[in-house]
Amino acid sequence: MAENTAAETGKKKVSKKALAKSFHNWYYGNLTCFSQEHMQTFGYLVSMLPIVEDLYDKKEDQQKALTTYSAFFNTEPQIGSMIVGVTVGLEEARANGDPIDDETINGIRAGLMGPLAGIGDSLIVGTLIPILLGIALGLAEGGSILGPIFYIVVWNLLAYFGMKLAYYRGYDLGGAAVEALVGPNAQALRDSIVMIGTMVIGAVAATWVSISTALELPGGGTLQGTLDGIYPKLLPLIFTVFCWWLMTKKKVSPIVTMLVLVVIAFVGALVGFFGAATIAAPTV
Amino acid sequence: MEINVFQAALLGLFACLASMPGLGGTSIGNYTLGRPLVAGLVVGLILGDVPTGIIVGAAIQVVYIALVTPGGTVSADVRAACYMGIPLAMVAIHAAGLDPASTEASSLATALGATLGTLGAILFYGTATINLVWQGMGWKWLEKGDTHKLYLVDMVLPWISHIICSFIPTFLICLAGQGMVDTLLASLPMDGLAMKTLFAVGSLLPCVGIAILLKQVISKPTDFLTFFFGFTLAAVMGCNLIAASAIACFFALINFQISTMKLKLAQVGSGATLAASDDEEEEDI
Repeated sequence: MAENTAAETGKKKVSKKALAKSFHNWYYGNLTCFSQEHMQTFGYLVSMLPIVEDLYDKKEDQQKALTTYSAFFNTEPQIGSMIVGVTVGLEEARANGDPIDDETINGIRAGLMGPLAGIGDSLIVGTLIPILLGIALGLAEGGSILGPIFYIVVWNLLAYFGMKLAYYRGYDLGGAAVEALVGPNAQALRDSIVMIGTMVIGAVAATWVSISTALELPGGGTLQGTLDGIYPKLLPLIFTVFCWWLMTKKKVSPIVTMLVLVVIAFVGALVGFFGAATIAAPTV
Repeated sequence: MEINVFQAALLGLFACLASMPGLGGTSIGNYTLGRPLVAGLVVGLILGDVPTGIIVGAAIQVVYIALVTPGGTVSADVRAACYMGIPLAMVAIHAAGLDPASTEASSLATALGATLGTLGAILFYGTATINLVWQGMGWKWLEKGDTHKLYLVDMVLPWISHIICSFIPTFLICLAGQGMVDTLLASLPMDGLAMKTLFAVGSLLPCVGIAILLKQVISKPTDFLTFFFGFTLAAVMGCNLIAASAIACFFALINFQISTMKLKLAQVGSGATLAASDDEEEEDI
C-alpha cells in the first residue's frame, strides 16, 4: 500500500487505516502494561507499530524505526495522544528522507511529555472529571442510576473524541498543535477552566461533606446550633482546609492525613464531640 | 445479603478492568469503571441492589473525587476501593440494619471503602512489578524483530498480572470479608465508642479527597476565595451542583475576558513604548 501512494505522489503518506489503528492502540493500550520503570513505553510502541509497518516495507527498517520509541515515556494519556500524533508526523517526514534522527524525535517527545502531563493532570483529572462527577453525584441522589449513566456517557464521549482530536491535530500540525495548548491565550483559558473546577469543588464539599458535633453547651442548646448560626457547614469547611494545610504546608502524605483524622475521630468520640445518634442528616 | 462465588468472580473481573493500570484502558477502565460512583452501579447490578450500590458508591466517590496519580505514585487503589469496598460496605449496611440513605450508612461505607482503598495500594505496586516480567520479554522480542509480539506484551500478558493482583484478591476478600464484616458489626454496639469513631472517621474522610483536589488547583492564597465562593453557593444559598456549575462558568467567562484583555493591553502597551522610543530617536536626528 505504501508503494502505491509513493508511486502516485512521490511521497510516502501514512494510510488512513494505519492512523486509525495507531490511534485506537493508544486509546486503549496506553497504560495496560504499566510498570514503574517503563510507564507508557509499551503503549507507545504498539501505537507506533501500525505506522512503521505502513511506512517501511523492509522488516529491518520497521524494527529500526520502532526502536526509536523504546525510550521511557509517561504523560497524561488523554491529552498526551497529541504527542503520539506529532511523532507520527515526524516519522512520516523521516520516511520521506527528511534528516530527522532518533535524538530529534526523542528530544521532542521528552520535551512535550512533562508540560502536557501538567496540563492534563490539572485540566482533565483535576477539573473536568471532578466537575462531571460532582454533577453526577447530584443526579445520583437517592440511588438514582441517572448519576452514573450521565458520567459514563458524557465522560466517554469527551474522552474518545477529545483524544482523537488531539491525536489528529498533533499529526496534522506537528509542534504548532502544542503551541495552541501552551501559549498565553491558552494559559488564560486554562486558568478560567481551573476556576470553574475550584468553584464546583467548593460546592461539592458543601453538599457532600457532612460533619457535625453532638456537643451540648452548658447553658443549653447545642454547639452545632451555634456553629450553624455563624456559617452553615462550618465544620466541613474547617476540616477541609485543615487537611489541605497538612498536605500542602506540612507536606504530610494523604495516608498520614487520613490517620490523623482517625485519631481526631477517636478523641472526638471519646470526649463526646462526635456522636453516632446526632450525626446530621445530609442537607440536599 | 450474601455474595456468592459467581458474584465474587464477576467483581474480580471488573477489578481487573478498572484498576490503574487496568485492562479496560485508561478512559473506560480507570476513569469510568474505576470511579466509585460508576462502580456503585456495576456492583449494585451484580449484587442485585442498584440503589444501595449507587448510594454507597457516591459516598466513597467523594473521598476519591480527584485521584491524581502524578508520576505513578498512588495513595489509594481504585480497584480495591470500588470492587472490594463497595460490596463489603453493602453487606455491612444490610448486616447493621441501617437505612442505606442515612448518614450512618454513608459514613460506614466511606470508612470501609477508604480503608480497603488505602491497603489496596499494594495491589497497584504488585501489578506494576509483575508487568516488568512481560516488559523484559518485550525488549527481547523487539531486539529479535518479533514486533507483533508487542501486542502480546501490552494487551494480553498483563492479564496474568491482574489475575494475581486483582482477580484473586477481590474474589477472596469479597467471599471471606462478608463473614468478617457480619461478626464485627454484631460484636460492636451501635452507640459504642468503636462505632462512634467509625462513623466520625467516615464523615471526616471526604475532606481528604477535597483537600487533594485543592492542593492541585490552589496556587495562590486568593484562589481560596474562589473555593469559598463555590462553598457558599451550595452551603448558604442552596445551589445544587448544576446551578453552581452554571454560575462558575459565568464567572470563568468574565475571568477569561479580563485575562485576554490584559494580554491585548500588554501587546499594545509594548507597541506604544516602541513607537515612543522611535519618536525620540527621530527627534534626536
